[in-house]
Amino acid sequence: MKRVVHYLVAALVVFLLWELVSVSLLAVRGRVILPGPVATIREGIQHVSELSSAFGASALRFSIALSIAFFLGLPAGLVLGFERGLYQVFSPLIYLTYPIPPVALLVFLYLAFGVGEAVKIVVVTCALFFQVLVAAQGAARGIPRTYVTAVRSAGASRWQLYRHVVVPATLPAVLTAARVSVGLGITMLYVVETKLGLVGGPKTGLGRFIEYYTFRAELSLAGVVGLSLLGLMFYALLELLERWLCRWKHLGGPGAP
Amino acid sequence: MIEVEGLTVSYGAGRRTVLALAGVSLSVAEGELVAVVGPSGCGKSTLLFTLDGLIPPTQGVVRIGGQMVQGVRRDVALILQDAGLLPWKTVLANAELGLRIQGRRGDVREVLEELGLAGFERRYPGELSEGMRRRVGIARALALNPKVFLMDEPMANLDSITRQRIQDLILKLWQGFHFTGVLVTHDIEEAVFLGQRIFVFSPRPGRLVEVVENPEVGTSKYRDSAQFLARVRHLRQVLVESGT
Repeated sequence: MKRVVHYLVAALVVFLLWELVSVSLLAVRGRVILPGPVATIREGIQHVSELSSAFGASALRFSIALSIAFFLGLPAGLVLGFERGLYQVFSPLIYLTYPIPPVALLVFLYLAFGVGEAVKIVVVTCALFFQVLVAAQGAARGIPRTYVTAVRSAGASRWQLYRHVVVPATLPAVLTAARVSVGLGITMLYVVETKLGLVGGPKTGLGRFIEYYTFRAELSLAGVVGLSLLGLMFYALLELLERWLCRWKHLGGPGAP
Repeated sequence: MIEVEGLTVSYGAGRRTVLALAGVSLSVAEGELVAVVGPSGCGKSTLLFTLDGLIPPTQGVVRIGGQMVQGVRRDVALILQDAGLLPWKTVLANAELGLRIQGRRGDVREVLEELGLAGFERRYPGELSEGMRRRVGIARALALNPKVFLMDEPMANLDSITRQRIQDLILKLWQGFHFTGVLVTHDIEEAVFLGQRIFVFSPRPGRLVEVVENPEVGTSKYRDSAQFLARVRHLRQVLVESGT
């Protein structure tokens, strides 16, 4: 509840600063450069159904991309980080491909996946996949030996080792990394939605919405606010997930880590 | 119960090979509690891990109950230096871990009660004191109802009062359950308090240099007796003379 208040206060501060910049620009240039928050929200509410459709489309796309990134990146990263032999073979490969922004390969991705929905999801998935993969790998490499010995000494199989040690030990770091990369994912989402949006209407995604209403500045800005809320939503979701799945990390007590 | 013959263990390969144990032979009778002392890095932990089947011998043979040790055994339990608790599992889940991994059923609540941990089942290790955490580690091993207890410095890094309590607890459990125990320690008093025989190891590569007989273990008020102090002094002298 306290956190909700913090967010509300932060939103208020952003609105005040926004208003300040808007008014100053108006005073200096003599015409509206940046519409203020009140006008933006008014326009947004008037087009609420269109805006929420765009929000929903973007949110669905992001959810799918995030899920695939987790589903593929988490196991791959854990195995690569935990199995010493595999790490030495595959880590150069990962660090060579990791810095390539997927949008740099957009032309080839169009050719491979067409210009429809698939390619948008692929680009966002690629960006998030590497974040999850690298975080999982790093966390798996840093698992203290004593946890592994404790479980192995009881006769654990490889599968039990992953289930009782590797996955729970790395989950906090992986979820934190995923949370931090929400910003990157939203950027990628915006890029693919604007670059590929020309075929669809403003309801096909927030990126397209912003692009479509470029010359109706208030409405375009309402789309930007939507993008901010989208990022916040996934950030909060991942944080809640971390608090729920990794309760042990958030305890008080004499030896709390 | 435990027989070790000509045990040599080395790690790594090529030029980087580290010889941890060199030609160690010893045996522990059934129901006997022995201590292994020596300086840090003398291969004490390696010896325990080899007895537990976690590390294969490079040369030599390890037998428990007449059988060659090949991989971990259900009747052997290992207690780790820092208890080796998993911080994401509750006290109950940690205590049950060994049983669950082995697909066995069993009630650990009785064991937890025996160790003064009743009422803490749903707590996480991070919420416990260091002494309690060690007891959870002991409970996890005890729940397996093993014939052999391997203890890797279970009292390391404890304050002296807690250390003494855990020492008393181990003695009580040994007297109650009649297990065969191997206790690795670098504390001389602890070795004398808990080792009916004390194996003295040399620095790396670890070799067995002397065996000190200490049959008074478990007699009442042994820790306060003149005999105890004399034995401690003797063991200290043995350690000095063997250059450890």
